Amino acid sequence: MITITHILGNARDHAISQALNHIEHDGRLETIVLDQQDTQRHRLRVNTDLGNEVAIALSRNEHLENGSVLLLESNRAIVVRLTLSQWLVFETRDIAAALELGYFAGNMHWKVRFDGVRLQVAVIGDPTGYLERLDHLIAEQKVIHVE
Amino acid sequence: MSGQLGHSGAARVGIGGPVGSGKTRLLEQIIPRFIQRGTNIAVITNDLVTHEDAIRVRRSGLIAPERVLAVETGACPHSAIREDPTLNIQAADLLEERFGPLDLILIESGGDNLASSFSLDLVDFWLFVIDVAGGDDIPRKRGLGVMQCDLLVINKTDLAPYVGVDLARMEQEARQVRNGRAMLMTNCATGNGVDQIVDLIAREVLFED
Repeated sequence: MITITHILGNARDHAISQALNHIEHDGRLETIVLDQQDTQRHRLRVNTDLGNEVAIALSRNEHLENGSVLLLESNRAIVVRLTLSQWLVFETRDIAAALELGYFAGNMHWKVRFDGVRLQVAVIGDPTGYLERLDHLIAEQKVIHVE
Repeated sequence: MSGQLGHSGAARVGIGGPVGSGKTRLLEQIIPRFIQRGTNIAVITNDLVTHEDAIRVRRSGLIAPERVLAVETGACPHSAIREDPTLNIQAADLLEERFGPLDLILIESGGDNLASSFSLDLVDFWLFVIDVAGGDDIPRKRGLGVMQCDLLVINKTDLAPYVGVDLARMEQEARQVRNGRAMLMTNCATGNGVDQIVDLIAREVLFED
């Protein structure tokens, strides 16, 4: 198991990017796939896509992100890749329903973002649970599940 | 070049769950096990308006009293571990400064209901403790804590026959809503099942095998 306690940089960084290209060409670029939530952790045990175990133990002021480079050797590298976050998209029938949906989402401590008249809710885990929670508003057609 | 430097700070593990589910008792079972393994630990307890849990752990004799800090949340306890965990982060930093390098800080949050959860800014891994006497319908209610924690603990398994709970069904429903994520059954009064919790924490955030 490799233990990582420091992020070396990001795959977007020019110098690192060039080195990664060479390593990728030789098939020795390993990736760790994380969801958005796991990037908030400072300690986690994960596997690379080649099955190698990695223990990540970062100081509290370092944060994982898409492209974080954890290992960079002449013939081997390990890079973090983020899975795309899933968002449920909702519209509301009127302003009163919008207030109700906003209150409900806040009360559930859901992570949301605004897209014009639409409210997007970040999904952690199974999306079914979110729709079940909103069932009473959807059934009354106060809230419309768009996508 | 690898990202390997020195000590990066203690692992921080949250223990949440409803009032009376056995969080403090679990702490009292966990602490000596980690100390026996040679893990350098400290503890933070959260209470609404008292230091009740911290006093209990300090008096337990299981850990040096100065290694136990109390955070008095004053109001909604959820906020202090999720929306604004500043008080707990400061307490953890203080413990690391005083007793570091620490391996592990356990952060217990009392007085929470099924909707509580820990911010991953505060902890690296968190447990949610429910108990059999609270009712076998708790997993079915799909509370945030039950669904999102890294490890669900169902405590007080010994009480099932006395409170009319079908333990097998409760376990099955919990596994169903957890969708394969970690879950363990315990009786923290006797320590039954606690070794597995300690092993899991040690594996996941202390990287012991």
